[in-house]
Amino acid sequence: MLINHRRVLQLLAALLLLLIAFPAFAEDVASSHKPVTVPNPATDLWRAVNPQQLPPAQAAMFPRGGSQVQGVQSGVLINQQGQSWRHFRMKQLLPTGGYLLAGAMLAVLLFYFIRGKVLIRDGESDKKIERYSVYERMIHWFMAFIFLFLGFSGLILLFGRSLLLPWMGPELFSILASAAKEGHNLFGPLFLLALVLMFLKFVIRNIYQKGDLTWLLKGGGIIGEHDVPSNFFNMGEKTLFWLLIIVGGLIAISGVVLLFPVFEQGRGIMELSHVVHAIAAVIMLTVIIGHIYIGTIGMQGATEGMTSGYCDLNWAKDHHSWWAQRCIDEGKVLPKQQSVDGHTDNPDSASREGVQ
Amino acid sequence: MIAQLIDGPLWYFSLTVFVLGVLWRIVMILRAGVKKDLAVPRDGGGAGALRAIFSRFVPERTVRRHGKVQLIAGYMFHLGLFALLFLARPHVDFFAEHITGFGWWSLPYWAFIVAAEVAFAGLIMLWLYRLLNPVTRLLSSADDYMGTVLVFLVMLSGCLALAQSVEALRLIHLFLAELLLIYFPFSNLMHAFTFAFSRGYTGATMGRKGIRA
Repeated sequence: MLINHRRVLQLLAALLLLLIAFPAFAEDVASSHKPVTVPNPATDLWRAVNPQQLPPAQAAMFPRGGSQVQGVQSGVLINQQGQSWRHFRMKQLLPTGGYLLAGAMLAVLLFYFIRGKVLIRDGESDKKIERYSVYERMIHWFMAFIFLFLGFSGLILLFGRSLLLPWMGPELFSILASAAKEGHNLFGPLFLLALVLMFLKFVIRNIYQKGDLTWLLKGGGIIGEHDVPSNFFNMGEKTLFWLLIIVGGLIAISGVVLLFPVFEQGRGIMELSHVVHAIAAVIMLTVIIGHIYIGTIGMQGATEGMTSGYCDLNWAKDHHSWWAQRCIDEGKVLPKQQSVDGHTDNPDSASREGVQ
Repeated sequence: MIAQLIDGPLWYFSLTVFVLGVLWRIVMILRAGVKKDLAVPRDGGGAGALRAIFSRFVPERTVRRHGKVQLIAGYMFHLGLFALLFLARPHVDFFAEHITGFGWWSLPYWAFIVAAEVAFAGLIMLWLYRLLNPVTRLLSSADDYMGTVLVFLVMLSGCLALAQSVEALRLIHLFLAELLLIYFPFSNLMHAFTFAFSRGYTGATMGRKGIRA
């Protein structure tokens, strides 16, 4: 029998095409049908452990479960508040906190370019007044050190995933984040210690006095050319102190609640503590940006008191004139050289003792 | 590569420098000797030396009155550091594996944290006092700051690596500790060993003169 080779080849090619095309054809046919509803067992499980997904009548049928594990809320599998907390952290806290901190830094920068550095009106004098004792400065810088460490490590924990992770990559960021977490937890209790020391050492001079409100109403003399008289601490410094004690206290207490989960606090309290901790910390960081600005580049002679312990007489006259006048009256003004060379035997005895 | 270097040769090198350096410094101090006392001794020098070595752990009344912060911060730092160095679980394991061959009792986790807090608070306070007091600032040399910074960094890196989940943090801690070991014998940190010699010398000299120093 004579075989038509061409015909056979054509048949084989057609068969091959059919084999290749069939699966695609089969998919098209399948997709044209309605999908088969297969009940997802995970959905039932989710409904069972998460009663708030159900109508109230049915939710009552799913009370808190029991567990072999004895602990706070160990019978609760799904924490509904956790979703709200996560939503708040991601959608509100991160953007609002970020804008607030960036805004504060921008405001300080703008203020510097508009107002410029606040200079001592008559320039530096050749006389000094002792402003802070060694112990007072130690406590201030102890607080500053701890606050900045906690501030930076806290910012890494809060914003690191959004800002640093894309830039650093997961490997480097995981090292940084782990270190920041351990460091933040370790130095946290030291903030409480610094806060207590700060309160004990500075509280007397931060009680509001007559004239403080006038200082505030006149804008503290920072805007315009007129200086406003004030005592050892002005209204702004006193308000910063009380903010630190109250808001810082909230940070410390909420931090303790987060750090030591041994007081039978449930997840709700932990989440609330985290929210309070983060909001209070962002507020405090914003305020401290202003404090650092005015204490360093914003004002001539402001850092000196906290570094050497002595301030320039003309600086004191400009910014704390009532206190400066009392120091002059009581003969507590020193020649500049003596304040540089000399020191008091007792580091706690400042010459301004009793002068507030 | 770097990890192998830090874990291996650099560790043995730094330990050798530390041990030989400390021995060399102590031998040099002992070889320097003391001038012969020709006077008839009123009391024994040895008893005076022993008394001074231990009695000076309790400071004089004037120091207690005028140097409360340095005293409290000093004890906080030294006791905290001692506890961290010799009683922290990771350190006990490290010593057992690399040096002694056996371990000993270690602090529970909470006590480790307390010791670290106490040591950090003390060290930062002492550092600030050194910087802010005009007398100590004048007396301090670069060596004092170098020693403080190194000890601080070793403590900090150790605490940051506490989770023991990130190898890089452990290596940073070990590397800084190795730098400290190399620096130690040539610095004022030697007071960890030489305090006994200086106290003993003063105590013995005074003891021979019949003075309870």
